[in-house]
Amino acid sequence: MTTFEEAREGRGVDWRRIARRQGWTVGVWLLLLGTIVFYATLIPNFGDFQITSIAKNSLPLVYLAVAQAIIVIAGGIDLAVGAMLVLSNAVAARLMEGQPFAMTIVIAIGVIVFCALLNAGVGWVITVSKVPDIVVTLATLFIISGLALMVLPSPGGGTSEWFRALFTGSTTGSGSNFWPPLLMMAIPVAIAALFMRRTKTGLSLYATGSSPVAAYLSAINTARAKVVSYAIGGAYAALGGLSALAITGSGESRFSTGSNFTLRSVAAVVLGGVALTGGIGSVVGAAAAGIFLYTLSPVLSAMGVDPNTAQVIQGVLIVVVMMVAGIVQLRRERAE
Amino acid sequence: MFVTSAPLVSTKAVAKNFGSVVALRSVDLTVEPGEIHALLGANGAGKSTLVKILSGVHQPQSGEVAVQGRVVTLRSPGESRDAGLATVFQDPALIPDLTVEENLRLTSADQDLVVSWLERMEAGALDFAAQIRELPLPLLRLLDLARALAREPRLLLLDEITAALPADQAEHVFEVMQEWKAAGRSVLFITHRLGEVMRMCDRATVLRDGRNVAEFAPRDLGESGLVEAMLGEVVKQAVGVATDFEALERAPVVLEARDLRSREQVRGVSFRLRAGEVIGVVALEGQGQDRLFELLSGDRRPDGGEIVVNGENMAARSPYDAVRKGVVLVPSDRLQALLPQRSVRENLGAPLYNRIGRWFGLVADEEERVQSAVDRLSIDTRAAKQAIRLSGGNQQKVVVGRWLAAGFRVLLCFDPTRGIDVGTKQQIYRLLRELADDGAAVLLYTSELAEIPLVCDRVLVMYDGEFVAEQAAATATEEALLTAAHGLSKEEDVA
Repeated sequence: MTTFEEAREGRGVDWRRIARRQGWTVGVWLLLLGTIVFYATLIPNFGDFQITSIAKNSLPLVYLAVAQAIIVIAGGIDLAVGAMLVLSNAVAARLMEGQPFAMTIVIAIGVIVFCALLNAGVGWVITVSKVPDIVVTLATLFIISGLALMVLPSPGGGTSEWFRALFTGSTTGSGSNFWPPLLMMAIPVAIAALFMRRTKTGLSLYATGSSPVAAYLSAINTARAKVVSYAIGGAYAALGGLSALAITGSGESRFSTGSNFTLRSVAAVVLGGVALTGGIGSVVGAAAAGIFLYTLSPVLSAMGVDPNTAQVIQGVLIVVVMMVAGIVQLRRERAE
Repeated sequence: MFVTSAPLVSTKAVAKNFGSVVALRSVDLTVEPGEIHALLGANGAGKSTLVKILSGVHQPQSGEVAVQGRVVTLRSPGESRDAGLATVFQDPALIPDLTVEENLRLTSADQDLVVSWLERMEAGALDFAAQIRELPLPLLRLLDLARALAREPRLLLLDEITAALPADQAEHVFEVMQEWKAAGRSVLFITHRLGEVMRMCDRATVLRDGRNVAEFAPRDLGESGLVEAMLGEVVKQAVGVATDFEALERAPVVLEARDLRSREQVRGVSFRLRAGEVIGVVALEGQGQDRLFELLSGDRRPDGGEIVVNGENMAARSPYDAVRKGVVLVPSDRLQALLPQRSVRENLGAPLYNRIGRWFGLVADEEERVQSAVDRLSIDTRAAKQAIRLSGGNQQKVVVGRWLAAGFRVLLCFDPTRGIDVGTKQQIYRLLRELADDGAAVLLYTSELAEIPLVCDRVLVMYDGEFVAEQAAATATEEALLTAAHGLSKEEDVA
């Protein structure tokens, strides 16, 4: 029999447990890798340019997937993350136009803090009013979208060249230096992942989503956890808006852009293995699903699939993946 | 020796109600330093509510809680913890999707202390990287207890801690309690097992009907004294059902359970229910009665044994199959069974809907059936537009009425009168009796012992997943039932 100390130190690597817990996340990364390899075989001159393109263009959705994942893990759902992305994009485009690089960084930080506080307010309204998340954020979707349009009624604004290079690897937004976009993706995702699993606050978000009653009885402030999840979600959504500004070089605040992004963030979260009931899943999985969902469109267009058909294929893929995963899980539960 | 002026923890005239339901009327409880204090009472006496008030989960409407003589307001579990109280609830307060290590880190528990307490209780190997949902309940109980102990609270509140523990591990828990007491700390111990109270506790407070009615040293009183104290004045025996057991013997068996098993909760249950018979099932909370009714109503498949309906194996895959065989359930949570927003008529008609070959409306006789159910139940139809607006009693009548309209052979009633006023209760019991006299078979679990002789022919007592006693209902005293339900009669039989 193992003693406590041995058990605590761990008895080597338990691969079955890793497969069970991280299986989904690993699966999504493999799916993504397979898709990119397939993409490479499709186009003859696949290289740094394509890698850079995928990395930078998937940034907004990756940030948004992380934002949504954190909120969903804590037991909520935010229909306004996409609108928040658009608001951050509009405000930043408006303020950054003609500013030097240093100033654009200061503005970027300001925008992130602003969006975090705004969304913390949304979380606060939800905890105080006890109105379901989906209802409150449906309302804030319109409010935030409206604010974005007030800030930037028509496409425009701008940013500094080096700010564009920070996210895209090139001052013109188009190039083959994939390190900046890859790092800008990896670092925030890693920070979110470490925060969620390593800090007490992060664990309290999992706890609140997993079992609100047990969390409350464990003397966890579940209301605070909810507000924190929305605040961090707001910050990552803001990051998404900033990356979109860097990619295109100017801002735009169409309502449909925001709602589109929201829907895709929910798809990424679900595909990434985060349970919509809360408490289960990882931001790393959601991030991978975000890249995957973006990558589908260049792959399908390289295959010569018409864009409308491509949308149908995307939807079918999501359903098929979810079905397979659901069946696997059901069989595992039966076996236990 | 010096005399401490103030008790460790005390409550004064604490009262709590939830809406119109009064849980605590007025409770005075005093726990002294260095004692193991039992909190006793029948189901619904208010034990859990009192524990939750001391844990900061509920706030009392009136009255006060004092810790070491200082009046405190416990607005959250965190404040209760800070006041030096630690509670181990019946359902361990651990997060299922996090690992053991993450749970401990989350609640800032001293992991070395937790480990040493677990070793002290010989809990066996515990993998700190395992998720809570992967671990068995007894181990989680011990983990929750070790975490509470590691906080070194002044008062440890244990709510049914031994309920899911094997005997040897319960023994270790008792040893820890004794050590805790020897160190001058106190335990408030809630249990249904009177044997444990006799052995472990220095004093006991008995709650009945939301009040503290007695306080004494258990050893002075003996087990039968404890039971009497919990029951209160000997209830005058109402006129029971006059069962003709010979006639019943000739009636066909409509429901038979043969050695039913389900995990640890139902361990070999057998019985025969005949047409025209009402069998009462009596048990303390958590003895497997919930699971037994899940099995019988087709909500869950048994691990072993079989359910025979009218001589045919039921083998239900869902309640739908059971209903088709004529086995129907009236659950205690009425809203679970009703379509709360729909009218009384729609509710009564609901079970008829799936006999449709007809897309355009109700079966020809449906109106008739529904009307006759309404008449028979004397449902107050003033709020008939929406079932949720009916009183609890009327809601329950609608649930029973549904099956009246649809037709059934076996009616499973799980605590159907929970939270219902006395008048309506009487009506429901009269109704059950009438149904039986018309040839229906009824299996009735109730937490109200006093009602057993009024409705039932026979009564079965369930303890720890088994039926441990059977009696004719008319002559079953509350005392005898409660004694058996505490698992005591078994030992007496052996002796």
